[in-house]
Amino acid sequence: MTLIRRGTMAAAAMALGLTITACGGSLTQDNSGGDSSGTIKLGMLTPLTGSSAAIGPYMKDGAQLAVDEINAKGGVDGRKLSLTVEDEACDPKTAAAGAAKLVSAGIDISVGGYCSSATLPTLSIFGKAHIPMLIPAANSADLVSQKQQNVFLLNGTGIQQAEAASKFIKAAGSKGVALVDDNTSYSTDITKRTEEGLKQSGVEVVNHQSVTAGESDYSGAINAVLDSKADFIYWTGYYQEGGLLIKQLKAAGYKGEIMVADGSVDAKLIQIAGQKNAQGVFATMTQTPQTIPGGEAWVAKYKEKFGSEPGPYSTQAYDAVRVAAEAVRKAGSTDGQAVTSALEQIDGLEIFSGPLKFTAQHTLSAGGFDILVVRDDNFVLNK
Amino acid sequence: MDHFAQLVLSGLFVGSFYALVALGYSMVYGIIKLLNFAHGDIYMLGAFAGFTVLSVGAGALGGGFFALITIMIVAMIATGTFGMVLERTAYRPLRSAPRLSVLITAVGASFALEYGIAVAFGPTPEVYQIGIHGGTLDLAGARMTYAQLAMMAIAVVLMIALDTLVRKTRSGRAMRAISQDPKACLLMGINVDRVISRTFFLGSALAGAAGVMAGAYYGKIDFLMGFIIGLKAFTAAVIGGIGNLRGAVLGAVVLGLLESFGVAYLGSEWRDVFAFGFLILFLTVRPTGLLGERVTERV
Repeated sequence: MTLIRRGTMAAAAMALGLTITACGGSLTQDNSGGDSSGTIKLGMLTPLTGSSAAIGPYMKDGAQLAVDEINAKGGVDGRKLSLTVEDEACDPKTAAAGAAKLVSAGIDISVGGYCSSATLPTLSIFGKAHIPMLIPAANSADLVSQKQQNVFLLNGTGIQQAEAASKFIKAAGSKGVALVDDNTSYSTDITKRTEEGLKQSGVEVVNHQSVTAGESDYSGAINAVLDSKADFIYWTGYYQEGGLLIKQLKAAGYKGEIMVADGSVDAKLIQIAGQKNAQGVFATMTQTPQTIPGGEAWVAKYKEKFGSEPGPYSTQAYDAVRVAAEAVRKAGSTDGQAVTSALEQIDGLEIFSGPLKFTAQHTLSAGGFDILVVRDDNFVLNK
Repeated sequence: MDHFAQLVLSGLFVGSFYALVALGYSMVYGIIKLLNFAHGDIYMLGAFAGFTVLSVGAGALGGGFFALITIMIVAMIATGTFGMVLERTAYRPLRSAPRLSVLITAVGASFALEYGIAVAFGPTPEVYQIGIHGGTLDLAGARMTYAQLAMMAIAVVLMIALDTLVRKTRSGRAMRAISQDPKACLLMGINVDRVISRTFFLGSALAGAAGVMAGAYYGKIDFLMGFIIGLKAFTAAVIGGIGNLRGAVLGAVVLGLLESFGVAYLGSEWRDVFAFGFLILFLTVRPTGLLGERVTERV
């Protein structure tokens, strides 16, 4: 909660500063009015430094792939796309500064946002400048509860993830569930909603712990979880801590099931936990090229271009650019208002999570979450 | 209270890591009154130095206890040398500058180290391909792995070695003398610069050892791993009475136990609130720390 509150304050402060700069900028160049010629400027906020710095390149490369593909086919109505990337650092203050920079660089559409707590303060900054936001990764329900018209989520929300988790936990026949989060907006949102979902379906939640990201010793939380006799543990934070948690749980003699949320789905989780410890760990995850039938071709294309496997949210970032291009094509200009209504009208555009149609809250109507399971070195679809 | 023994053991284990890092903080503060905020990052550097040795010589070393000791010694020499270089290039030119300038330099050195490593090794965490396996022990109803016992034993050996060095040897006496009055030491013919260098070497080597231990035990290292432990070790050093070496160890153990019990009774989200809250409370009651001496202003 404190993170959110601090974030909103930072946003307010930034917005105040921004009204001044935005006014100054509009004399020479009006980015909110939009036009129908010239380059279509896309901006992306993604973590390039800080604790989630590993994610940034995955998202950037995913988006770049789409930009290059669309440009190679002649762009949108003859206009080329360009991508500007700024650091979000998973930190509200850095993200707000980055957003202000993107606005003054005159971007037309934002296709970034990874950490929910860092994305929150950027909503009002982009909102004031009438820049539509297609958020590829951040998915806390707090993002849409602001009811900002220019905000669209391209990732399943915490609500959908929690639904998938509670359904799976109930089906697994657990007698007592322990939820562990890392105190960030993204993570607590999922645990809160999973707890509600489990209560409704009659599964008992016996323990709830919040750990501090960045530490390495979780024996305190683990002792408490083991005391509560939980037989199913759901970790909703990121993979760095998730791997340690799994390793330390196994070392402490835990025999029950473990499940992790999408922030933890990364091959590094298995390495950190130790391959033996990670076997059979479940995960709730948005569909990825690795789990979607026919996704191999896309993975091969990505590998050829960047020399490495795509990572978490490469596909969502790729889709964000494609959706943005489609919206500009439909609207016929980059005017914020026109693009926003074009986004609301998109129906049936094929993206990785299925045919795209936004709900009234601007979240995905289809797609949702798969349950993955660790086999050997990888997360594979749980069948 | 059925987990009393378990909580004590967890606390002691975490405390032994804090202690190794806290010793360096305390030594440097004791001798030149500098809070070396880059110290936590030297711990991180130690972990990465060990990781490099491990990835280069993985085949030759094997993966057991012997390999751990070897890479630990290499990492200690590497971080110790780095500590000396840091002192020589960043802190010595500023020794007569206002205290605040040196403090800011230390913060700058900390960031330079963190992001230097992030550039060199990439921002994703690295995984140590070593680990002490083996079973668990049952100590009065508490679980303890052999790995944990080995780590604590190494920490204790290092601490005893340092204590002997500072109390029994000539160079230890020189360190203690300089912490009392550097000017008088200069007049007595002690090479103050060399002793300060040596202090940085020792403190950084201990932090490096702790870094390798963390890598081997937890398995995961990343470029920001030094930040939180740096803060905690600093807290431990202050609780124990900064500048006092036995105090630093005592402070670290107290902090480890506090966290362990605090988490058990209040929940893990309260761990840091508890630790730092206690620091504030403690400082209002006993500002010089547990074993700190009362400093009388000399007029």
